[in-house]
Amino acid sequence: MKRLISSLGVLTVVAGVAQAKVDLTTLPSRDTVQLTIYNSADMTLARESRALTLKTGANALQFSWENTLIDPTSLEMLPKANADQIDISELVYPPRVKNLGLWNVQSKVSGKVPVEITYLTSGLTWRAFYMGTLTQDEKTMRLQAYVRVTNNSGEDYENAQVRLIVGKVHILDQIAELAQRQYPYGRPGEVRPLALPAPMVEERQKALGRVRALAESAIAKPKEIVKEGLSEYFLYTIEGTETIPNGWSKRLLSFDIDGVPVINLYKFEEERYGSSVTRFLSLKNDEAHKLGQTPIPDGILTVYRSADEQKHLSYEGRSSFKYIPVNEAVELDLGAVADVVVEPNLIETRTDNYRFDNNRNISGWDEIQVFSVQVRNTREVPAKVEITRNFAGPNWDLKRSDEVGSFEKVDLDTVKFTVELSPHSKQVFGYTLTTYHGVRAQEPSKKSR
Amino acid sequence: MNAKRAMVVAFLTLLCATTTQARIKLVALPERAATVIRLDNPSATLIEEERVLTLQKGLNKVDFSWKGVQIDEDSIRLQMLEHPADVTLLSVSYPPGESALVWEISSGGDFAETVRISYLLSNIDRLITYKAVANKPETLVDLKSYLVLRNFSGEDFAKARILLDYGEAFEQGISHEETKQMLFLNDPNAPIRKVWKFDAATLPWDPTKLENQNVGIPVSYEITNNKAGGLGGFALWGGKARIFQQDGHGGTIFLGEDNAALVPVGEKMELYIGDSRDIVVTQRKMREAQISIRRNNSEQVVLYDTDEVITAKIENFKDSPAVLTMIQHIPGQWDMEECNMKYTKKDAGTLKFEIELPARTEKGPAVKELTMHYHRRNVRP
Repeated sequence: MKRLISSLGVLTVVAGVAQAKVDLTTLPSRDTVQLTIYNSADMTLARESRALTLKTGANALQFSWENTLIDPTSLEMLPKANADQIDISELVYPPRVKNLGLWNVQSKVSGKVPVEITYLTSGLTWRAFYMGTLTQDEKTMRLQAYVRVTNNSGEDYENAQVRLIVGKVHILDQIAELAQRQYPYGRPGEVRPLALPAPMVEERQKALGRVRALAESAIAKPKEIVKEGLSEYFLYTIEGTETIPNGWSKRLLSFDIDGVPVINLYKFEEERYGSSVTRFLSLKNDEAHKLGQTPIPDGILTVYRSADEQKHLSYEGRSSFKYIPVNEAVELDLGAVADVVVEPNLIETRTDNYRFDNNRNISGWDEIQVFSVQVRNTREVPAKVEITRNFAGPNWDLKRSDEVGSFEKVDLDTVKFTVELSPHSKQVFGYTLTTYHGVRAQEPSKKSR
Repeated sequence: MNAKRAMVVAFLTLLCATTTQARIKLVALPERAATVIRLDNPSATLIEEERVLTLQKGLNKVDFSWKGVQIDEDSIRLQMLEHPADVTLLSVSYPPGESALVWEISSGGDFAETVRISYLLSNIDRLITYKAVANKPETLVDLKSYLVLRNFSGEDFAKARILLDYGEAFEQGISHEETKQMLFLNDPNAPIRKVWKFDAATLPWDPTKLENQNVGIPVSYEITNNKAGGLGGFALWGGKARIFQQDGHGGTIFLGEDNAALVPVGEKMELYIGDSRDIVVTQRKMREAQISIRRNNSEQVVLYDTDEVITAKIENFKDSPAVLTMIQHIPGQWDMEECNMKYTKKDAGTLKFEIELPARTEKGPAVKELTMHYHRRNVRP
């Protein structure tokens, strides 16, 4: 917070004299700063409190924001005391001066007045990421969630209260672009080019010393993150304050839960995953899974497995997962595997029930296909396998040959078989698919609904 | 008006003894009496200024020229305020290659005539922005609107009366390249309605078919421009609106921003703030068949009806209730055989459902399932 609003000062306007000529009288210090950082957009809401010294009558407050990425149109100042005595009537962006604004303030009181200044800035980001560690039997997983906050804003934020917003915010303009405009609100009729923020690399070296100093005084206990819902978003408030110099990132633990029950779920769907089986970890964000307190933000999960008694780890896969609301189930895609195999075999095919039109040409027929599906689990742990079959259209009938596993019609052209296999086991199920072509599809008595 | 830089509104009273090409200009720079900047039309800004012209009995030529500003030549008007019956504007001529025009004025006497000159000036305008802070339960907003004056016209206006399309004119000076932001509406307790909307034509039907993506249900606030909302005095201009919410700790969070359209009195302002990922809609087509098929002599199908079933499972994972507006579309001629929820027809092919969703419980999300069984009629292949 060195540069931002560095020349914040109260000016007393002399009647009739142009504002540019008034003198700086006091320079208030910043008391606190709070950062609310968004991850769906490059945007942070900064809120700082300062004490201004006002005089009765007209006051002009000058502030500047050079070398920062703040959006000047978002600046707002509100008195936190004597609000009815202080009228912040206008904010002026004077001509031919860059990165500077003047607040014209009419005050009926004199003396120190606490004010709150808020603005949107860019360059501060955060993301969530996860580490999962499966037990050897793969029945439970230790789930560690982290947030990583990165500061490329051009500002060193010292002792800031840091809050993170989980949610998808609708915005019209990129804050970084607004921050770099020549004129805060642009010019009449102009078309605005989109600019991207440039990371301020040279600042990193300066910040290095400060970070080292901070690391030495780091506290032993990880900070807690308080989570609460607001509107459609979740607010994570990090305990205490944080110092994140420009160019630096910080990793903080969001939660660490051991023994989350998981299901090894394997999926087979040729149209989607090809001929290999894809492995998923299935769990639910609810109390039964020791979760369910808050939604889980989207992020990357790296999954390990305890390999032996000496706590060595093996890498199982990596999955990016979407935002998980409370009580929703999630399936984490760990990629294709070779140790669970699904082989659908067409064992018989024939046609029947031909129809002919007035010219004795074929106008309809049935196609009958008998499938046998073999599912093999070569692993040492149980596996649940979902086999999804997609058909060309809605005109079909399916007859199961046996009662192995369960069956579900997903929609008009999709069915799903689910089988559960014990370690090192094999199951086979079969079905007969009748597909109606041409006018046979239009004979309602011949097909299922 | 300070004529240092630009718009040299130079008034040259020309001696019209000769009609030769050489324009001998006798400069009489009249003082401006009053300037009005009219911002009531968002597409152009009208400047009206009053000056006193010293006119002699007979023909007078007055030269009006400008430099460094963009004036719509055809928009320039001259109005006599004191002796309209005796002072007549005969003609307007435009000298070649100059930003100027010459008025030929016939005067019935020697007058110091106050005139009003009106013209459209480019690169000076106003914007409206909104800042709304919702309370924590999202039932009310503190709605503030700011007027942003932008002057890039090339002219400094030391003092002008600024007129919007309603309300009192106010005095304000604004220099060239200056931008001023002024609070002009403060409505502390405007009631709002929060709306979740799923439109089956624009959002994916089945989120399970997407790879690791949430389908966000758009969330909007509705503010009605009426007396009950502390508004209703005038149409609300369109502009960028930023919406915040009180966080319960003395601060706010930013909820989102949207462009508000112009809202006439009595109408609703709808502000899209962001997407909810805690309401999940899974829509599927469970049946689609041709029935009542009619054929020609060649056995080709020429006409048929359809038999269609669509289901939509709506899950609320939020810890608070919500009302989801669901929009479904059925094209052409159709009739509903069975539908387990009430709907209204917005138009021939658009169905609107208002689905009340309770909050989630310990057992899981609140779930409702819509089933529409309908027939499209007289479809031609």
